[in-house]
Amino acid sequence: MTAQSSQLTTPGPRPHAEVTTPLRGEWMTPRRRFLSALYRGRVDKVPACTLSSCVTVELMDMVEAPFPEAHLDAELMARLAATVHEVLGMDTVMPVWHSQLESDALGGDTDWAEKDNWPSPSKFVISEPEQVKVPADFREQPTMKTVTEAMRLLRRRYPDVAIVGKVYGPWSVAYQMVGIESFLMDTILDPDKVRRYLDAFLPACIDSAQAQFEAGADAVMWADHTTGDLCSAETYRDFLLEMHQRITQEIGGPGIFHCCGKTIDRVHLFANAGWDCFHFESQVDAREARVAAGERMSLFGNLNNPTLLYQGTPEQVYQACWELMDAGVDGLAPEGSVPLITPKETLQAIAKAAADWSAERRGEGQFAVKPPDAVAVAAD
Amino acid sequence: MADLERLQLAVEMGDRDTAVAVTEEAIAEGIPPLEILEPMTDAMGVVGERFSRQEIFVPEMLISARAMKGAMALLEPLLVGSGHRPDKVAVMGTIKGDLHDIGKNLVAMMLKGANFEIIDLGTNTPADEFLAAAREHQADLIGISALLTTTMGNMRGVIEAVRAADDLPDLRVIVGGAPVTLDFATQIGADGWAPDAASAVDVAKAVVDTARGRTTLSGLIHPDVIAAARDTAAA
Repeated sequence: MTAQSSQLTTPGPRPHAEVTTPLRGEWMTPRRRFLSALYRGRVDKVPACTLSSCVTVELMDMVEAPFPEAHLDAELMARLAATVHEVLGMDTVMPVWHSQLESDALGGDTDWAEKDNWPSPSKFVISEPEQVKVPADFREQPTMKTVTEAMRLLRRRYPDVAIVGKVYGPWSVAYQMVGIESFLMDTILDPDKVRRYLDAFLPACIDSAQAQFEAGADAVMWADHTTGDLCSAETYRDFLLEMHQRITQEIGGPGIFHCCGKTIDRVHLFANAGWDCFHFESQVDAREARVAAGERMSLFGNLNNPTLLYQGTPEQVYQACWELMDAGVDGLAPEGSVPLITPKETLQAIAKAAADWSAERRGEGQFAVKPPDAVAVAAD
Repeated sequence: MADLERLQLAVEMGDRDTAVAVTEEAIAEGIPPLEILEPMTDAMGVVGERFSRQEIFVPEMLISARAMKGAMALLEPLLVGSGHRPDKVAVMGTIKGDLHDIGKNLVAMMLKGANFEIIDLGTNTPADEFLAAAREHQADLIGISALLTTTMGNMRGVIEAVRAADDLPDLRVIVGGAPVTLDFATQIGADGWAPDAASAVDVAKAVVDTARGRTTLSGLIHPDVIAAARDTAAA
C-alpha cells in the first residue's frame, strides 16, 4: 500500500453535518418514489402509476402520435408514453399498449386496428407446442425493437421518471397464439400439452423482460391471465406457480404481476411466487387483497375503468383514490388498460388525490404514514 | 338399452366419446330424438348452475359444450328431419370493433344447451348484420357481447336500430360482457342483461317469454328481477 492510498483510507472522525433544510413536501423523484412503494418502503407520496395502457385518443392528438403508428415507431411511442407523466401527472410511463409484443415477435398474426382500438391477434397460428420457434433475432423483431428503443429514448429524456415494461407470460401468449378456448380446454383434456406450450413460450417471455430491463425499464408488469373469471386457483397453482417462482428469480429486476378479474382466492399464491407487486382489478376488494398479500407483496391498483374512469367524474375518481389509499394500496393505478376515449380530467384526478392524501398523511414529516388499519397482518 | 342418464353425466363431465357413443346407441334403438336431447339440455343446466356457484370454471364448461356438440352432430339431422325446431331463436355476436369471442361463445353454447337455435355472427358485428340475421331467421332475440370499453358503446346503435325497425316489434336485445354493467345496459335501453353465461340463459328465456306475454315482468330483465319474481310467485 502506498503512503498516498493509506492517507485516503484513514479520513478520521467527522462532525455530523448540520441539517439546515429538512426534507418536506414532495421531495422524492417519481422514479425513486415508485421503486420504494414497489417494495412497500417509505414514500413522500403514494405514487400514481400506469401499469397498463393509459394513453387515450385525446393524448394521441396532443402529441400527434396516434395508434396504430405509435405501436411500431419508437419516437411516436416514446412521445405518447411521456404524456402519461407530462399531462396526467403519473410517476410512471409505460410504452407498451397492446398484448402482441411477444406473440407478434414469435410469428403471430396481428391486426393493428385503428386509432380508437387496441391491436389483437387476427388468427391463431399455433396448434402444437412443437410449432413454437423463438427466432434467433427475437429482440430485433419490430414489436420488440420498437419498445426497447422507445424505452432508451424515455430513459434519456426522463431520468427521474419510472419506466415500467410489460411482458405477456407464457399463459397469456398462448391465449394470443393458440386461442383461449382451445388452450383452456387442454388444461383438462391434455395437461401435458399445456405444460409443453408454457415451456415453449417461456424463453421468449423471459428474454422480453430482460431486454426491457436492459433498455431502461425499472420494473416489468408480467401478465398471465389466470383469472377467476376463466379458471380456478388450483389451475394457477398446478400450472404456473413453480414456473413463476423461477421467473421472478430470472428476469433480472422487479416484477409486477397482473391478472384481471376475480383473483382474491389466489392472491396468496401470487405472493408465494415471489412477485414484488400485484396489480389488481376492481373486482378484488383492496382490504381483502391487503390481508391476503400481507407484507410479502405490494399492491397497486385498482381503479375501475368502465364505470369510474371512463364514465365517472373527476370528483368520483378522487374520492375512490382516497378510499384505496385508506385501504392500504401501495400505489394508485387504473385496474387495466384505460378505455381510449377516457377524458383526461378523470385520469388527472388520480395524481391529485395521491398528492392531497399524502400531504395530509405526511403532516410535517418526511413520509406519508399509512393508516394503522391499512398495515397488513402477514397472511400465510 | 341406451342409458340416457349416462348421456347426461357424460355431457356434465365433458366426456365427448361417451356422449357420442350413448347417442349413437339411442338413435339405433329408435329412441325419439327429443327424448335423447332432453338429458343433454338438463346437463347443460347443471353445468351452468355449477359455474354460477364457482364449483367449475370455463374449461369445464367448454368441454361439456364440446361433448354436447359431438352428440348433437348426430342428433340434429334427425331433429330437423322430424320437423323439430327449437322453441326460440337467438342471433348472437360480438359488437363491431371487438374481436373477443369467448364470452359470446359461452353464452351461445349455454343457450344452445337450453334448446335455443343459435345464429352465430362471430365477432366485429355491425348493427345491420344483427338486424339482417334477425329478419332472415325470424329471431326472438339478439344477444350482444363486448369485452372492450371502447366498443361497448356500439351496442346502443343495435338497440336503436331494432327499436326503429317497424317489422321487428317482438325482437328483444340482451347485452353482456366484462365491462357491461347493469347501469350501462339500462342506459342504452337493453331488454336484458346478465353478469355471466349461466345466468344469461334465465335472462334470455325470461326476455323472450315476456315478449310473448307469458310473464308479467317488465323493464330491463336481469337475474335479480327474475329471482324477485320467483320469490313473489312462491309467496
